[in-house]
Amino acid sequence: MSKFDGQATKSLLDKNLITENQYQEINAYRNLNIFSLNAELKLFLYLSVLLFTSGIGILIYNNIDSIGHIAILSLLLLAIGICFYYCFKNSKGFQKQETAFEHPVVEYLALAASILTCIFIGYLQFQYEPFGTNYRLATLIPTIVSFFCAYYFDNKSILTIAITGLAAYVGLSVTPQDLLNNSNFYQDQTLSYSAIILGVLLILWTIYSSKIQLKTHFNIIYLTFALHIISIATISSLFDYFEYGIWFFFLLVLAGSSFYFYKISHELKAISLYVFMIVYAYIGLNIFLIRIFENINFSDVWVLFIMILPIYFIGSILMFIKLIKKFNKEIAA
Amino acid sequence: MIVYDKNLLDNLALVEEAKSLESAGFISKEQKNLIKKELPAFKRQSNILVRLGFFLLGAFLYLSICGVIALIGLTGSNSEGFFFSICCYIFAAIGFVGAEFLANQKYYGHGLDDAFILGALLNVRFAIAITTEGYEIQVALFVAVASFFMYRRYLHLLSLLVFCLAAAGVLFFAMFEFDIGKTILPFVAMLASAAFYFLTKRIINNLKISYYYSGLLLANSFCLVLFYLSCNYLVVRELSLTLLGSEVLPGQDIPFAIFFYAFTFIVPVVYLVQALKTKDRMMLWISFLAIGFSIYTIRFYYSVLPIEVALTCGGLVLFTIAYFSIKKLKDKEVGLTFKPDRINNSNTILNAEALIVASAFGMKPEAKVPDSPMDFGGGGFSGGGSEGTF
Repeated sequence: MSKFDGQATKSLLDKNLITENQYQEINAYRNLNIFSLNAELKLFLYLSVLLFTSGIGILIYNNIDSIGHIAILSLLLLAIGICFYYCFKNSKGFQKQETAFEHPVVEYLALAASILTCIFIGYLQFQYEPFGTNYRLATLIPTIVSFFCAYYFDNKSILTIAITGLAAYVGLSVTPQDLLNNSNFYQDQTLSYSAIILGVLLILWTIYSSKIQLKTHFNIIYLTFALHIISIATISSLFDYFEYGIWFFFLLVLAGSSFYFYKISHELKAISLYVFMIVYAYIGLNIFLIRIFENINFSDVWVLFIMILPIYFIGSILMFIKLIKKFNKEIAA
Repeated sequence: MIVYDKNLLDNLALVEEAKSLESAGFISKEQKNLIKKELPAFKRQSNILVRLGFFLLGAFLYLSICGVIALIGLTGSNSEGFFFSICCYIFAAIGFVGAEFLANQKYYGHGLDDAFILGALLNVRFAIAITTEGYEIQVALFVAVASFFMYRRYLHLLSLLVFCLAAAGVLFFAMFEFDIGKTILPFVAMLASAAFYFLTKRIINNLKISYYYSGLLLANSFCLVLFYLSCNYLVVRELSLTLLGSEVLPGQDIPFAIFFYAFTFIVPVVYLVQALKTKDRMMLWISFLAIGFSIYTIRFYYSVLPIEVALTCGGLVLFTIAYFSIKKLKDKEVGLTFKPDRINNSNTILNAEALIVASAFGMKPEAKVPDSPMDFGGGGFSGGGSEGTF
């Protein structure tokens, strides 16, 4: 809050850009002198959930043999029960649209409950192996629970856990750090096919859920995951695969997904999707260009190549500026 | 000194104000668009992702231009050594020219200009380091001068941050010149940051032109951070270990240990109380960070509790504090409140929540124990970075 905000409002009034009435209203609000701790306190709640569940996780992991299993399990179950009790008591039940709890604390209790449930099932599996050695099944159960909680309590954080669980079921690790480090595809190239299929399935789910108007505000999360999963899988395959036919297939997939996300980002007015789509498409394009130039003998023309580089980058910058401008214009319209 | 058209800067402030009024619901979207159309504006990217993208592209462009010049210089000149000694000056000059060119084209806060301004500063640093053979105080001095120039001319906030760091560097390296300097360094730094804090505060209060407001606020906050760090126990002890080479034997402690301990705990609390009293959001956030760092300081030397118990209890305590604060503030309408502020809301931080959860608790496939607590890196809050904004 600075005096210059008030000055700016005044000069908006002087230039006749806002009405006298609006100015009075704004001034009256400013004079309330509100200092809101909303974001800060919510962040505290959030941090407390993260700290608490991490603490419990480590506690169980370290003492997995020493404390009685039944004791741990019943304690966990008790904590989960308390959290869920409050959540269900305060929730308005399942709604198709975006909803919010009346009390902000409950939202974080729901998050704590679902993380604790995941820990509980993980512990159960480790100790008693109720699902045998079928680890995929053991991943699927927490995923289903998380999906249920995410949809029932309308919680985006839980939804991301659920999606990472779904990907883990397929065999992928899609936590942001792993996606950035591109650690999935080094060992097993066939994973990129599963990744692409998973991404497509996520996209299909968003199409279906917007058709039946089910939690349409979740779409952007699904699409963000889909964009990153598909693009990173195809790009890493473009780097590694050299068989001509397969390589071309991945190029087509990247082109197709870029085209789809180009359209959908306009529809959702989501600049984050748009920017990442452009970045991935640009990387793909550069790989394509390099593959074409590979056949030329570089030792003769590298001087020319370095001379051309600045022009190439200026060209790219102009193109990017044009693309962003176009996007901003179209979503404003 | 400011290269930009003053009218455009004024317009920028007006458009920003209109934007926040629109999101607060005081004016309609059509009105905001009308205001935006009415006032000519800079070429500017307010979205951080887009700005980052243009920054990267600008950096590529800068690098490629430098590459061309290096190529010409190496093939054209007779002695390579001479070229190497001046190349960084040439690169820095390119940065200045690029920044000036972009500013004349009305680029402000666009990402491209950031790349050239910061690139020029980096090259100034290298150039001086090569000429003086790495004499730190001169490097810091020249970088400080250059970055201050950049700030005054282009109102570039990141340059001002560089200036603050470089100025602090000048102070430190100057103290190293004297024998006694290393010993009294914490106190000098503390006094200097306190002096500059009150100086900047005074300037802000008497400020007539709005262009420098955010820069002064940044410098002011930097002084607060430096003040806390200057006499923090952990910082002082580790620095005295590296600078003076004095080992702290078991049963002993650094001189004035009680003062530093007291400082580590009192200052964050003072910040917190003062921030709530003066309704200063910047100070509030700094006080949160300072409290966190004070706890880390203690845990660094004394393992009071095992990590898992500390985390669990910390979570419970934090939850209780937040719960009761919310309960107390929930129904207040004026002053300190839990109701979201219509005009200045800091919700952006909450939008990152989902991302943090995914980084910290995301499930991983077919590990030996699925969902085992192995995945729960207690401190993995930093992952992700610019992955996406929901």
